[in-house]
Amino acid sequence: MNKLKLNYTSLSFLPILVCIPLGYQLINNIHFGGFKLFQEFLISAFNPKIDNEIIITVIKRLNETILIGFFSWLVSIIFGAIFGIISSNIFYKIFNIPNFFYRIIRFFLTIIRSMHEVVWGILLMQIYGINFSIGIIAICIPYIAVNSKVFAEQLETIDYKSFESINQINAPKFSSLLTLIWNPIINTFKNFGLYRLECSIRSTVILGLFGIGGIGTSIFLSFQTLNFRELWTYLWSLAILIILPGLIFKKIKFNTTNKILSIFFISVFFITILFSFSYFLYFIFNNNFENFNSVSSLFKSSSDLGLFDFLKLILETIILSLLSTGIAISLPPLVIGIFNNHTSKIFIKIFAFLLRLIPTPVILLTLLTFNNPSVSLAALTLGLHNAGITSKLLFTNLDSQDKRNYIAMKSLGISKNTSWLLGLFSQQAKSYLAYCSYRSDIIIRETAIVGVIGSVGLGWQLQESLSSFAWQEVTLVLIAYSSIAIVGELINGKIKNSLT
Amino acid sequence: MNNTVIELENISYKYKNDLILNKINLKINSGEKIALLGKSGSGKTTLISVLNGTIKPTQGEVKFFNESFEELDRKQKSKITTIWQDLRLIEDLSAEQNVNCGLLAENNFYFAFKNLLNISSFKKAHKYMKLCRLHNSIYDKKIRKLSGGQKQRVAIARSLIQESNILLADEPFNNLDPKLITTIKNLLLENVDKNKTKKSPKTALVALHRLDLLNDFDKVIGIRDGKIFFNIKRNNLKKIHLEKIY
Repeated sequence: MNKLKLNYTSLSFLPILVCIPLGYQLINNIHFGGFKLFQEFLISAFNPKIDNEIIITVIKRLNETILIGFFSWLVSIIFGAIFGIISSNIFYKIFNIPNFFYRIIRFFLTIIRSMHEVVWGILLMQIYGINFSIGIIAICIPYIAVNSKVFAEQLETIDYKSFESINQINAPKFSSLLTLIWNPIINTFKNFGLYRLECSIRSTVILGLFGIGGIGTSIFLSFQTLNFRELWTYLWSLAILIILPGLIFKKIKFNTTNKILSIFFISVFFITILFSFSYFLYFIFNNNFENFNSVSSLFKSSSDLGLFDFLKLILETIILSLLSTGIAISLPPLVIGIFNNHTSKIFIKIFAFLLRLIPTPVILLTLLTFNNPSVSLAALTLGLHNAGITSKLLFTNLDSQDKRNYIAMKSLGISKNTSWLLGLFSQQAKSYLAYCSYRSDIIIRETAIVGVIGSVGLGWQLQESLSSFAWQEVTLVLIAYSSIAIVGELINGKIKNSLT
Repeated sequence: MNNTVIELENISYKYKNDLILNKINLKINSGEKIALLGKSGSGKTTLISVLNGTIKPTQGEVKFFNESFEELDRKQKSKITTIWQDLRLIEDLSAEQNVNCGLLAENNFYFAFKNLLNISSFKKAHKYMKLCRLHNSIYDKKIRKLSGGQKQRVAIARSLIQESNILLADEPFNNLDPKLITTIKNLLLENVDKNKTKKSPKTALVALHRLDLLNDFDKVIGIRDGKIFFNIKRNNLKKIHLEKIY
């Protein structure tokens, strides 16, 4: 008998096997109490509420969302670039600084990055109370670390020979550094900036669901009051908000040779840095930390969390991450491959857009109308949301791919689905898997969001511990959560390296 | 009077298990024009990299003006310019910005900043680009859009703008047509001749493959398997010497 050989194509489909245990638990947990609500939710999508009152509310809420999203984006992209520079090896080569510092900064950023903005948000809200700036800070903290990683990775692509040639000119160190990093930084900003703005807006919406303000808060309140028509008004306006920056960015040409534009960008850069520092100082000196009396409370608080329960929560979080990643990887190629015609593609694209648009807590709450809370339901939610994102990437890559192989195979009489699989997808499988390994890092972090809503894993425990001011438990949960994310990132890094 | 500019003492360089340079001793005097001959992989590029301080030798010492390379200050180091075989230009910058990079050593951070924003003066850069027969239509073109010959001349212009005392060049005439070779060769070596009478004459060490270009050099060094096989005056070069290294 021939041995089973796995290639990138089969590896892209294999994770769909997670649907077996997932489906089993979901079928066992099904209830019919909320089907009517679910039906109402779907119908309301085509009949959103539109009147003067709601339009005014939408504008007001969108304003808040834009403000939080834009400022957190601006600050995080600028400081991300700065931290990206000081965590890239080029910086240490030019200044002859020992690699030891480079490792410390990277490790520090990895820890910060390992915690989702919702975790930072819940934590900061508990300490400082709910206010507008908490939203910006909660998004900025992990985003600076995420952006710094992207910038550092780009800076590490600088040709070592260019570095040697500039270094050999013996220019002042800062001049050499600036000359070498200028274009990679600008290019990263061009290629990555818009995506991060979209991410910032999404994160603002999710934090809104936890009470920070903006359209997210309105979405959550509409859902709580089961006002689905109003909910869809907010969701559609959010869709416009997400699509709009893309259209605007397409029109803007970042011409670095345009002097006025360059001076404008540099002014924005320095003003943001100055503003951020002054705001940070204001924030530190004007808050009395009313809910977080002193650091000593961390040591005084006791923990009722047993070792067994704690390990169970960790295991739940890991299982949740694995199941969601399986769905996010395999569902898009499977669905696109099976329904491989023009009309189906349009429907899949719309469905994927909705999965990206609707915040995961809302998807989960909707699914909870006919299913009991479980790891599988949380995994399905997270998996579907991320499948929406991976399918967007897959569609983009497939649309831009050379289709000659596919056409040639079809002309040989091979079925459309097989031709798609072997002639189109097989060439994308490797890069698709590489992206998915990066995506699974994000999924691990996002387990916190669905955990809080779906009573699953460490996310739920974090919320519980924070509500009871059990700071020792909070610390334990955060360490566990962060450790899972860091280990996951290390494993995914290895997988990604072997794929690229 | 000791007019040695560069001195290599027992230089060896090992990469992994391969000995790339093997106990090289060499003295280069002020104003000397030296051609470095040897087949591909003989160690010419490594020798140039050791000379400009890009790689540290595994053994031995490189001295410039009787001082070790590490002891030289930034100003002294900037007197050494290199034309690399693989050019090492910054692909995303324009031709004039790349040439202006040659001025980074004598200017401050603000100059580097203005250069990247395209708001610095390119007058000097244009002068040297013109000398290298580069047409003004390519001045603001990105490096990746230029032909091999144009890139070669941008790298040469970047080196010339440094107005250095010591020129190290690794096959600088690659990608150039015969007419341009003569122009560029005169440009690179004229500098040396013009200043020969001055107190700090300029010096050139050029790695070459083409033997018909040797006429303008004072001395010829032959290198094979990381060892210097001969170091003689150009007039004394015979067929037997070349047979040793090729």
